[in-house]
Amino acid sequence: MFAYYLRLSLASLRRHPALSALMVLAIAIGIGVCMTTLTVHTLMSSDPIPWKSDKLFAVRLDSWGPDRPWEEPNEPPPELNWRDATALMASDIPPRHAAMFKSMFTVQNEDPGFAPYMVEARITHKDFFALFDTPFLHGGGWGDSADKNLEQVVVLGKVANDKLFGGENSVGRTIRLDEREFKVVGVLADWQPVPKFYDVNNGNFDAAEDIYLPWGTAQPFQLRTAGNTNGWKPENIDSFDAFLNSESVWIQFWAELPDTETKARYQAFLDAYVGEQKKLGRFPRPLNNRLSDVNQFMSERHVVGDDNRVLVGLSFLFLAVCLINMVGLLLAKFLGKAPELALRRALGASQWQIVQLNLVEVGLVGLLGGVLGLGLAYGGLEAVKTLYASNDGNDVRLYALNLPLALQAMAIALAASLLAGLYPALKVGRLAPAGLLKTQ
Amino acid sequence: MSEIGPILRALLRNKTSALLIAGQCALTLAIVVNALFIIVARQELMQRPTGLDGENIVYVQSMGFTRDFRPEAVIREDLDLLRRLPGVVAASPINAIPLSGGGSSRGYSKEENTESEGIGAAYYELDEQGQKALGLNLTAGRWFRPEDVQALPENTDQYPYQAVISQAMARKLYGEDAPLGKRLYFQNGQRSVAIIGVVEHLPSAWVHAENFPYSVVYPRITTEKFIRYALRTEPGRRDELMPVVEQALRKANAGRIIRLRTQSEASARSYRGDKAMNIILASVSGLIVVITALGIVGLATFSVRRRTRQIGTRRALGASQWQVLRYFLVENWLLTTIGVLLGSGLAVALNLYLVETYSLERLNLWYLPAAAVLLWLLGWAAVYAPARRASRISPATATRNI
Amino acid sequence: MLSMHNISKVFRTDLVQTHALRDFSLEVAAGEFVAVTGPSGSGKTTFLNIAGLLENFDGGSYRLDGVDVAGLSDSALARLRNEKIGFIFQSFNLIPDLNLFDNVDVPLRYRGFSAAERKQRIEEALEKVGLGARMKHLPSQLSGGQQQRAAIARALAGSPRFLLADEPTGNLDSLMARQVMELLEQLHEEGTTIVMVTHDAELARRAPRNIHVLDGAVSDLHVVGTPSLRAATV
Repeated sequence: MFAYYLRLSLASLRRHPALSALMVLAIAIGIGVCMTTLTVHTLMSSDPIPWKSDKLFAVRLDSWGPDRPWEEPNEPPPELNWRDATALMASDIPPRHAAMFKSMFTVQNEDPGFAPYMVEARITHKDFFALFDTPFLHGGGWGDSADKNLEQVVVLGKVANDKLFGGENSVGRTIRLDEREFKVVGVLADWQPVPKFYDVNNGNFDAAEDIYLPWGTAQPFQLRTAGNTNGWKPENIDSFDAFLNSESVWIQFWAELPDTETKARYQAFLDAYVGEQKKLGRFPRPLNNRLSDVNQFMSERHVVGDDNRVLVGLSFLFLAVCLINMVGLLLAKFLGKAPELALRRALGASQWQIVQLNLVEVGLVGLLGGVLGLGLAYGGLEAVKTLYASNDGNDVRLYALNLPLALQAMAIALAASLLAGLYPALKVGRLAPAGLLKTQ
Repeated sequence: MSEIGPILRALLRNKTSALLIAGQCALTLAIVVNALFIIVARQELMQRPTGLDGENIVYVQSMGFTRDFRPEAVIREDLDLLRRLPGVVAASPINAIPLSGGGSSRGYSKEENTESEGIGAAYYELDEQGQKALGLNLTAGRWFRPEDVQALPENTDQYPYQAVISQAMARKLYGEDAPLGKRLYFQNGQRSVAIIGVVEHLPSAWVHAENFPYSVVYPRITTEKFIRYALRTEPGRRDELMPVVEQALRKANAGRIIRLRTQSEASARSYRGDKAMNIILASVSGLIVVITALGIVGLATFSVRRRTRQIGTRRALGASQWQVLRYFLVENWLLTTIGVLLGSGLAVALNLYLVETYSLERLNLWYLPAAAVLLWLLGWAAVYAPARRASRISPATATRNI
Repeated sequence: MLSMHNISKVFRTDLVQTHALRDFSLEVAAGEFVAVTGPSGSGKTTFLNIAGLLENFDGGSYRLDGVDVAGLSDSALARLRNEKIGFIFQSFNLIPDLNLFDNVDVPLRYRGFSAAERKQRIEEALEKVGLGARMKHLPSQLSGGQQQRAAIARALAGSPRFLLADEPTGNLDSLMARQVMELLEQLHEEGTTIVMVTHDAELARRAPRNIHVLDGAVSDLHVVGTPSLRAATV
């Protein structure tokens, strides 16, 4: 029977090509607009590390000034200062933890003729790689001693390894960062979490840094952060050491806490630490130390922008307009078909069979609209990409349709059109056949 | 307009179709009004005065990487070189690019030894050519003289003695009082500089921050490996001079990486999201209007087709073509008017929600009558062709069997 | 075959109540050919709609082929219509977008026959009405008489025991009308029960049994072969 309905529906759509095209187009544009905004929104709010996002915690201490919180209502600053980061690293409660910040270098390889270029680097602890399950192409990370003492070793990102060594296994070879020599101990495969969850203070969708340096290099080489630095206290910062000792926050800190018990112990440790510091006259605000897992942290740090939310809402209202439009057109169309449907009733079709026939036609419109809508969404995303994306960032990845999203689009198109078609289909299905047969 | 009564009654008998058109008009109005309101607000944001000669400013960023890099000497040589290039109007070291999203800010107050954090303002470091290099308009006092400018490393206990501030900053701090000669306090009012001049505009780096118009300029050069210069070219010569500048600096000192950026690029990057939002909102609004218009065309066509015989009868009974046309125009006007009434309420509700959730501005209510007029015109434009067809139905249709 | 007892049907609007049928009783035995006449507004059409299960009634009882139809669900009624009744309309009511084959196919689809059986039945039915060669034609490509014969083929294809014809020749000229009438008579001879509503006195006279409806009731059960004068003037 379904095949029969399908054949009849196709014929019916062909009977009024302009009207059918209008309905398909309305659904398609609605779906196209919705999927464009929804794709960006979905990818923006996607879990960058789903297999352990509930075990990874951003660590925040409320070291902010007494007058007002970092952000209303009572958010602690998103980053730590050097003193506190160093103190927290002394804990052995988290099985893995790492402090980190971003810096800039000029980089060269062993070839003196190589033109140096600027590169973003991440200075961090050895656990960074295991904490975030970064995939290695060659070699691995560094040992504990490189975090505590100066060891001139680096891990290269894939792009840096391609640029500096033509993609060869460069483990054991040397690069120069600001004219200092570093030995390569590992090379990462392509690793670009979206969003860049471990540092959302400096561009939510920036590309991952291309070079990783051990924590032990920071102080001896006086490495400065290339990210934001925020302070509340009027301090006289006249040297690098004064900066390290200041209340300025600029360090991201992450810990892996595998279960609630460990988390509770770690929270207690943080509170005890801040309690100690309060006695020394630091931490003027009430106790407010925060452990947020990846997804909590993304939402607390507003990774998905307001504009994006407004656009998603708007595009669903837009879809609603398209659907109301479709309800009207379907109603008119089905009423025009009423005599034929009445005849079918006389010849033995039940109300339900008429409704089914109508819904198959509506579903067909929905599917055609969905397919066309996917095409429009693809075009829409390309257009939005040129409007939004920067050339150097990682956000181009936000503007790509994938299979689950495409299926979602088809499902929305089908569901939306069936919803729009339900009332017209039922209304026409319930018309009494007797009155419609006499004159045609 | 004596027809309104019968038309209204006819519509009420076809409640569903009438409601659908009215509802669609209402939603369209609510969406378009709110989208337009956002668009205009963003447009105003992007068109705020900057006080900069935006089209002719280039920033040169130099990152020295050799260990024997001597910033102070390099800066002196670079400035010398840049200022002598034909086509360059002026050049000055600068610490941050206005409107670029990256810069430094600090709290300032007019009182000594205060507990308050004061007013957050961007601070810039420029030398004696800074005013000319950015094209700033000095409205009071004077700009820095060469002897005012201090070259200092980044971390130091020393700080300059004078400052020039933006007019918005002056007004914020001192109201109508003349700012010249007053002292500007920072670090909880423990330190201060003397205000020697006021510029009409000099915005901060953060285009979405409340402190956008507030800024303070010091006569200072920071001598570090990372150096930035602002230079202004003769009108229209920016793009032609950029490669020249880059090559000249490279040749002068090879132990560094040079990058050039224009003010226009930096501003465009900061406003990229707003511009994109506006384009998307405008496109979506346009599409909605088109879809709604096509919907009205479709429904009107159907309604004319269904009523062919009835219209023929009216014509046979003496209705003129114009009267038939008018019937459809009035019917459509009634529907859009219901849509306008519903839609105005909906638009205000949607705006209130946006105000609550995304702290948008309150809707300017003048948008509603404007949108109503637009919707009426749209409705008539959409219904005209079908109505015209209806008016041409032959009176003979009444007697023909169809 | 058809047994109606004291059927009543009232149409209500806000202002008026119209008794379309009152105490309408009629027995039609299997194999009969009955012509129903009556002036316009007499209740003929209401009778036909109720007989054809297209409309429900307010009082009385109606058994079709032994089945009491009162209180049956919509789908049960649809099934009864499909299996027992063949409809023939004044305006043929062929679906304009479907060719003859597909038009005749419509009731068979709802019957749930296999594709092979449907094909066989459609071809037989169209052969029978003399349109075997025109299966792929659209209704608009045929004359009125041919269209009505196609409609009869559609009514026959499901081999119903009961044909309901509503002014079957009303839209045809006399030559074509005669052809259609001869076809109905042939079907009657083959054993099909036929009830035909008409106001054409000559046509009614050709049916073995005539009944006359007036003001919603059967006015004269026994006039056989002699049409009412009033009916003829309508």
